[in-house]
Amino acid sequence: MRSIKLTNLTKSKHGSRIIDKVNLTIPSGKFFALLGPSGCGKTTLLRLMAGLETADGGKIYLGDRDITDLPINERPINMVFQSYALFPHLDVFDNIAYSLKIKKLPKLVIEQKVFKILESFHLVDHIHKLPSQLSGGQQQRVALARAIVSEPDVLLLDEPLAALDFKLRERMLIELIELQDKLKTTFVYVTHDQFEALTVADQMAIMNHNGDIEQIGTPKEIYEFPISSFVAKFVGTTNIFSGELLHLDTNPTIHIPDLGDFSIDLPQKKSWMKEGNHVAMSIRPEKIFITKKEVKNFSNHMTGFVQSIVYHGRSTQYNILLKNNLRIQVFEQNEEHFPQEVIDYDNEVNLYWQKENVVMLEK
Amino acid sequence: MKSKTTSHIPFTLGLPAIIWQIVFFYLPLLFIIVSSILKVSESGMIQGITLKKIFLFLSPVYLGVIGSSLLLALSNATLCLLIGYPIAYFLSFTSSRFKSFFLFLLIVPFWTNFLLHVYAWFFVLEKEGFLNNLLRFLGIIDQPIHFLNSLFAIMVMMVYYYLPFMILPIYSSLERLDRRLIEASLDLGGSWSHTFRRILLPLTLSGVRGGFFLVYIPSFAEFAIPELMGGDKQMFVGSVVSHYILGEQTGSLGAAFTVVSSIALLISVVVLFLLINKIMKRVRA
Repeated sequence: MRSIKLTNLTKSKHGSRIIDKVNLTIPSGKFFALLGPSGCGKTTLLRLMAGLETADGGKIYLGDRDITDLPINERPINMVFQSYALFPHLDVFDNIAYSLKIKKLPKLVIEQKVFKILESFHLVDHIHKLPSQLSGGQQQRVALARAIVSEPDVLLLDEPLAALDFKLRERMLIELIELQDKLKTTFVYVTHDQFEALTVADQMAIMNHNGDIEQIGTPKEIYEFPISSFVAKFVGTTNIFSGELLHLDTNPTIHIPDLGDFSIDLPQKKSWMKEGNHVAMSIRPEKIFITKKEVKNFSNHMTGFVQSIVYHGRSTQYNILLKNNLRIQVFEQNEEHFPQEVIDYDNEVNLYWQKENVVMLEK
Repeated sequence: MKSKTTSHIPFTLGLPAIIWQIVFFYLPLLFIIVSSILKVSESGMIQGITLKKIFLFLSPVYLGVIGSSLLLALSNATLCLLIGYPIAYFLSFTSSRFKSFFLFLLIVPFWTNFLLHVYAWFFVLEKEGFLNNLLRFLGIIDQPIHFLNSLFAIMVMMVYYYLPFMILPIYSSLERLDRRLIEASLDLGGSWSHTFRRILLPLTLSGVRGGFFLVYIPSFAEFAIPELMGGDKQMFVGSVVSHYILGEQTGSLGAAFTVVSSIALLISVVVLFLLINKIMKRVRA
């Protein structure tokens, strides 16, 4: 079993609680992403799992085994550091062979293992180079190779791609996914970048500023069905409206002051979903259809004025000013070179959406 | 053209120091070397070149003096390293609020006169001194021990005086070390001793080497400490040189002995340098 279970894990530093009674189960053999804003304690959580920090309270289990008090060098958990932490005085071969030499494996076995991994990481030509002679991407690969060559049960990655440029990062993400798929090692990937987390994760957890875990789920669940406005705003972009719940029994609607009543869909009943309660409504910018014409078959409609237009290439972002002075974002796919309808600055536009594509959140 | 004029600036700035160094170091050095091989008559006339004075000091007695000076320097540098590395490690790795205070304590001895240190140690080591009283109080000894005028007293004073010269270079190389390298080594399964040998020591070698020779070289010619703490029991290079240089008509003999012992020191430094490299290779393997 390569799952990790944290129960009531607590850690204070310099007098302040960074991690407060965190409970989290990371499934075995999965690519797990831990997403949170900078300084939320996600790196501390990772360092606790690695054994680089000792917990003040709570337990850490690897499978069924309690590893809370197991020294760092006895944990079958390896880490890829944000700065790579390659040994500057050792060449690529010795860096990668470091853990194998500690295990006192026969020389021939070490060479075989290192060469095998060098080949799959396209590093054979650099075998005798020092880390300082490698590019950022190559250093990244060496760091990764060094951490997985000894076949740990769990691999921890602390923002491993933060120092790479966008194109390289995209490629490394795909390589990481393929690697995890091949090895079936449990990967725990810490990042503040929602794009990276959504790309790599089988399962992901969102941490808030207080170091609490707000939601756990697949990337799709997190993105489409956030359970709090923090998650909705942190993962992707969204438009949040606040209003009052009405007609829950007959025809559920939300009344938004100055904008009107909008019908909503409530597939799951929650305790806070009560008649007259103030709630938040989240609509993703791409879930809104923008046009100057009148269109039927949408359950909801409102109007607004185009305040600014940002061209992103694959999509165009319209910033719309609503009647209640709220500014919202709408994305439109750029499907054609010359769109049939030209929407320009200061145009009055119709905004349509389906009630099923909206998420209601507690306020 | 502009770059050409600016390239003169470092040289111009360094000129006073260079002139100072030439007048007060290289010229006297040249004078010593020349006077060690000049043949001078009793009336003071230069009569040619001779290696007689140099060969005079290749006798067993003088080679013995050089040998014991080398041994003194080597044991001082080794002791300072063994004591200094852990202190430097502590200073560098402590997260204590008193870190800068500890560093300050290390520098404080430099503020007081060297002779005061020696007298302070007299009080500690003498027959009715602090150390004897302490040992008697603890019931370890009945009769006071003669600490002064011994090799022990010399070593205590040497280590005491030279220790900061070892600690500071090691401390600065530890400060430059990326702490995550240690974490990475432990994370990859390395024990503490493995991490020390394979990561910490190789990456702070420049500091260790710097500290070692910073202690070793001046220890070799140390004159005051063996004179004051060792009485006249032990003869070292420093005492012999000062005896000849300050003596009447024996200045050129002093120069010749200086040349001989300097060559011995130079050879020993090269040998030690290679030896340290060899030890490092073995430690890392």
